[in-house]
Amino acid sequence: MFLAKIWFFLVALVAAVAITIALVLPRPAQRVLVQEETQRLVVACGVIDILLGDDARNRVELAGAFSRTQEIVTALESASGANTIDEARMKQVREVGESVMKTIQGARKPDFAMLIDRRGRVVARVRLDENDFGDIAAGRPLVDDALAGFLRDDLWAQNGTMYFVSAAPVIRRDPPVAYVGAIVLGHQVTNALATKLVSSLNVDVGFYLGKDDVAGSKNIAVDHGPLLDSLKTLQGGDLDQDCQAAKPIEISTGKEYYNAVVARLPGEAALKNAFYSVLIKRPEAVGFMGTLKAVSQSDLGATKLLWPIVGGLFLVMLVGGIAFMYLESDRPLKRLTADAVRLAKGEKERLGEDEHPGKFGSIARSVNIAIDKLGREAKTAKKDLDQLLGPAPEGSLGTIDLLATSLPPARPGGPAPAVSPPPSDFRFHDPGPAPSRPATPPPIRPGTPAPVPPAMTSRPPVPPSQFSAPPRAPTAPPVMSLGDSLDDDILGSVTPAVPAAPMLDLGSAGDVDSYFKSVFDQFIAMKKSCGEPTTGLTYSKFSEKLEKNREDLIAKTGCKEVKFTVYVKDGKAALKATPVKDE
Amino acid sequence: MPAIRFVRLMSLPLRLCVVVFASLVALPSVVAGPVVGKLELPPPPDRAPAATKGFLDRQENALAPARPVSVTPYMLVTLEGGEKSAAPGQVTWDLVGESFARPVIGAPAGAEVVIKNTSRIARTLVAAEDKNLVPAGPINPTGPKSFRVTAPAIFTIGDPDAPHLKGKIVVVSSPFVANVDESGKFEFADVPEGAYKLRVFYKDAWLEATTDVTVERKGKTEVSAKVPALGGGKK
Repeated sequence: MFLAKIWFFLVALVAAVAITIALVLPRPAQRVLVQEETQRLVVACGVIDILLGDDARNRVELAGAFSRTQEIVTALESASGANTIDEARMKQVREVGESVMKTIQGARKPDFAMLIDRRGRVVARVRLDENDFGDIAAGRPLVDDALAGFLRDDLWAQNGTMYFVSAAPVIRRDPPVAYVGAIVLGHQVTNALATKLVSSLNVDVGFYLGKDDVAGSKNIAVDHGPLLDSLKTLQGGDLDQDCQAAKPIEISTGKEYYNAVVARLPGEAALKNAFYSVLIKRPEAVGFMGTLKAVSQSDLGATKLLWPIVGGLFLVMLVGGIAFMYLESDRPLKRLTADAVRLAKGEKERLGEDEHPGKFGSIARSVNIAIDKLGREAKTAKKDLDQLLGPAPEGSLGTIDLLATSLPPARPGGPAPAVSPPPSDFRFHDPGPAPSRPATPPPIRPGTPAPVPPAMTSRPPVPPSQFSAPPRAPTAPPVMSLGDSLDDDILGSVTPAVPAAPMLDLGSAGDVDSYFKSVFDQFIAMKKSCGEPTTGLTYSKFSEKLEKNREDLIAKTGCKEVKFTVYVKDGKAALKATPVKDE
Repeated sequence: MPAIRFVRLMSLPLRLCVVVFASLVALPSVVAGPVVGKLELPPPPDRAPAATKGFLDRQENALAPARPVSVTPYMLVTLEGGEKSAAPGQVTWDLVGESFARPVIGAPAGAEVVIKNTSRIARTLVAAEDKNLVPAGPINPTGPKSFRVTAPAIFTIGDPDAPHLKGKIVVVSSPFVANVDESGKFEFADVPEGAYKLRVFYKDAWLEATTDVTVERKGKTEVSAKVPALGGGKK
């Protein structure tokens, strides 16, 4: 099992490594994903900055075109010469401005326009605060620059609203060329503008004035604290580098988390902490399950070698495991089983300890130890029987065995053998029917000659049923047949015994004597058949011995009668006494 | 009081004659003519960088050259020396919208400065150099806000909510302080006879160069002063 254990260890190790990889591998991917998202955030911020610049350029061009409109020039030149701006002039100029506004094509029409004369006075307003006029707009950097002849843009924050504004000087082009005023166009920063800005970026953008939301591509109620904190870190630097300088931060809406980067907005609004933030929903933690969820059909077929490799690894592990199990478990077990079967059949006396590796050898050794122990116990039992019955006449009577009563009357695997083995020859046997074993003889009944086992054919024939039992008395106890008295059939190596005289209906002394006589005859015949000398063996001594043993056995076991069986042991005739009990 | 008793003893015609005589004797020593002058302005300085910048840099238009920087709104002149006026009077400064009517005004020490908000927007003005100079509270549209300047100093008045709205009050020790028009001309009225020094203030500070002015007893005194080259300044 060593190699199998090593194999399973390797398989478990591979599995652990695979699981570790499966759990750990998404983390670098997650980190890379976050870095990519952060980079995307910075890039998107830069792109938005560029888009805002382009938008400003378009707005300035629009203001330039607006200011070059002849009606505007004429109206403001006229207004510049007036000491005061009255309502009539205001309305007249406003109508001019409105008509020009209507001519503006494109999606980005201004939300308001201011027409300013050369002195910096607001002659008229269009579409926003239209009734206000005459105030001095000069002083605002945008207006001052426009009055000085510059085109530029700016951001104004008014009443919580942010405007992208652009201005251009109004110049009389007819000689003498002169500045006659300026116009200011304003575009409100709206959700639509924000949405348009990020339409192709797959990010969100929000515009803020300090703690106040101004507009956004998506209604994201974020905590402004982290945004303002991040904004503070940008103070003093170049606004154009904010997207690169700002460190992306994580903000929460309570339910969702976003990565955000902030960048300041320029212009007057910057003095009111105007800024914008670019937001990307924070990528969810990928993890193992997330990775599995993200696997698509194309991933599975992306690498042609994937499945052959996986299948090959599986087969290698499977075949390896089966092979090692067969080599180290199944095959040795099969060998041990076969060995045990041979042991049971009596083909072996012991299990081969060296034939079985590892634990199986230990099992074999344990079995052998048990066999040895049983053998020793059997010998002890025999010794006790000898003590019980007294020693057999040396060289004359042979062995008297009383083992039968210590064995179970029957075995579940089949009928008991015809004769019981000597204790020292006790063997395990195969639970199944042993074809090589002689057929179990039927129970011997009184008056029925005991069949001779086939194994006896090679030996001198034993007179079978000449040992007829004496007549049975009607009240005689039931005779325990040899089949019942002998439990085990492991007497393969033992010459089957000559069936004892199956009488035991010893109701009188004459019957006993005749029974002893028949046993004596049977014994003499057996000794002769075994080639043993019978000189000196007389019936009187024999019967005396039998009688003594019978009485002792009856006294010690409480049996009703004692049956004597003649059999061959180690090539010599032997005699066994079997107590017969009542049914 | 013998003198009072002597006056009471005089008849009314005699009293009138005495008053007229005394006035004729005393007038030449306290009244003088106006002082008019003109500053020889240097070439306009380069335009200062924009106070604020949008997404783009400002760009000149293609139709006409940009207007030169006007320095005179940021100038004022004063005559130092001579007798001081007993009553400095009052100086009015108009807040006309997104700016003051003049970005720089002068006020004699002790004068009362009255800021009038002629715009439609309420402003909260604060002197950067002295938070307590301007009384707290907004100046509502058409409403005034007055305070007194006691000693020569330069105050920057502005609205924190409108950073572009800034003006300077230049407090001088002399009662003779005046702004300069676009051509560089200026005028002091009723300058007593005496020797003075003409000083020019530009934007944030006094120019080092001074011009001696002697006011004669009779007639208008004309002054001409040359202003050295000016920097673009912060504006």
